Amino acid sequence: MATVTFDQATRIYPKAERPAVDALDLEIADGEFLVLVGPSGCGKSTSLRMLAGLEEVDAGSVLIGDRDVTDRPPKDRDIAMVFQNYALYPHMTVGENMGFALKLAGVDKAERARRVAEAAKILDLSEYLDRRPKALSGGQRQRVAMGRAIVRSPQVFLMDEPLSNLDAKLRVQTRTQIAALVKRLGTTTVYVTHDQVEAMTMGDRVAVLKDGVLQQCDTPGELYDRPANVFVAGFIGSPAMNLVTGQAVEGGVRVGGAVLPVPREQLARAAAGNGQVTVGFRPEAMHLVGPGQGLPVLVNVVEQLGSDAFLYTKLADEETDDVLHPSDVVVRTEPRSAAAAGQKLWLGVREGALHVFDASTQQRVD
Amino acid sequence: MATIALPGTETTAVQPVSKGPDRRGGRGGRSGKAGPVTYTLLTLTALVSIFPLYWTVVAGSHTNAEIAATPPPFLPNASLFDNFRAALDQAPIGKAILNSVLVSGSITVGTVLFCTLAGFAFAKLQFRGKGLLLSLVIGTMMVPTQLSVIPLFMMIADLQWVNQLQAVILPTLVSAFGVFFMRQFLISALPNELLEAGRVDGASTFRIFWSIVVPVARPAMAVLAMLTFLTAWNEFFWPLIALTNANPTVQVALAGLGSGYVPQRSVIMAGTLLGTLPVLIVFTILGKQIVGGIMQGAVKG
Repeated sequence: MATVTFDQATRIYPKAERPAVDALDLEIADGEFLVLVGPSGCGKSTSLRMLAGLEEVDAGSVLIGDRDVTDRPPKDRDIAMVFQNYALYPHMTVGENMGFALKLAGVDKAERARRVAEAAKILDLSEYLDRRPKALSGGQRQRVAMGRAIVRSPQVFLMDEPLSNLDAKLRVQTRTQIAALVKRLGTTTVYVTHDQVEAMTMGDRVAVLKDGVLQQCDTPGELYDRPANVFVAGFIGSPAMNLVTGQAVEGGVRVGGAVLPVPREQLARAAAGNGQVTVGFRPEAMHLVGPGQGLPVLVNVVEQLGSDAFLYTKLADEETDDVLHPSDVVVRTEPRSAAAAGQKLWLGVREGALHVFDASTQQRVD
Repeated sequence: MATIALPGTETTAVQPVSKGPDRRGGRGGRSGKAGPVTYTLLTLTALVSIFPLYWTVVAGSHTNAEIAATPPPFLPNASLFDNFRAALDQAPIGKAILNSVLVSGSITVGTVLFCTLAGFAFAKLQFRGKGLLLSLVIGTMMVPTQLSVIPLFMMIADLQWVNQLQAVILPTLVSAFGVFFMRQFLISALPNELLEAGRVDGASTFRIFWSIVVPVARPAMAVLAMLTFLTAWNEFFWPLIALTNANPTVQVALAGLGSGYVPQRSVIMAGTLLGTLPVLIVFTILGKQIVGGIMQGAVKG
């Protein structure tokens, strides 16, 4: 068990114009479950592979515990990795797959068998130890990959989208199992995913990356409640936060046909750039108000989910019903609400639920 | 989300179970039951393929005059064994077969080992000058053997290896074709993650080669082994130059058979049969594995 530190770690692929990972600074505490999340190409997998020693570090350093491992090969780092496609050795049985690292480390046969059996028991794989990976289902293969990692009791677990090859139902099950298992083992874990739901449900902390740059690293709650910039605001949450850019006016921000109230001081700082302010409000932060009192919108599609209903609406002109902006404003309402497609509604934003960003810098303003 | 995903769950869960029947069903559906046309065609093909071998047996058991008669004989007879004896008297065929087994065996082991090593390096390892080296290796395939025979013979003569088996083994221990073949196979059949998993598990590059690459490469290695063994067994040009009838391979020994004012074709045929039998026996025994290897190689490579 150990801490993990990225200190200005940078990776530039040969012939690439910009770094795949740009001066990444991250401190991961002992026993912490940290999730790296972001859209594809954001550098999350590259960061993980730098920690694994599978990718060179062009600048900065990577530390495990107090040890600088920047230039150490993977086998000297005491890590175990779970790959997206599991990378099980096809010619070895489940037991041999799990014991391979121990065999290489010179652990004697009896001890090896004991540890493999122990890990297999935890993962419910005992009856499959003599099978080849080919004869296993996707979920079982995933567990073998997990078993191969835990059997070594490494200092750090690295997981590169370990659930993305599972179907959705199994993914949700396995998600909770992995989280529980890692918590029980108390091993520091770095977990890469592109799925923000996975990130939010599993991570002690979540680091959001975009274009190789760390955007924000915080607890899931903080990320959701106080996104540091427009990208994080739009990335975390499903359906995504509604983000609209408008002109700062007296008392608030003009959005479509209405003015959303923003405190004067906050507005002044947000509009300091070019007078434009981006405001964000989550689907659940909206409520319906009387005609002429809030944001006028036209309902486009109504999604009934049973527990909730989502209205996909467009900002409309107060008088003429013309659509003012092509992007959707999503509203969560009571299930079986009376709203129907084509209807005009007025929306209010709950007090304190409005996120304000400087449109020129995209940064949050409080 | 969960509602959308449910059908996916079912298919994946069912997949392993349905795979077997599906495959069998597919095969049955494609070919059905072989009809008379199929059988006739296959029989004809089999006959055409086996005829040269059969003719060798027939010609090996008749004199020149009997073979030349119209109609020619179509059945072998017991004088085949006399001709075997004549062939064995005229040329050291026993020694030649032993030599050929040694030569072809060494070449096969060497080629498969070195080509797999080099193919793995070219397919999966990163090193400076990789592209240039690979084009050089492939480029050697364009140089005709005849061009290098004289310098090669001079080298062998300098080493005093003339008429020794290493003179025919050493120059063919690795082949450009084999390197390229293994590289092409490994590029697609060996996922990078497997190598990375090996590295994370603490294996050295050589250990990765031995414990991960070789098992994955096995089907292609079997194909390469078969091709190499056959080529080496049938090699005539270079062994004829480097060896003499005192220490020949099979093909060199056969060249010295039945020589005289009128070539004794029956003795040549009997000798040829003797020289072919070991390969025939080996391939009859290993046939299934080899065909399996070719099929696997074809599907994956």
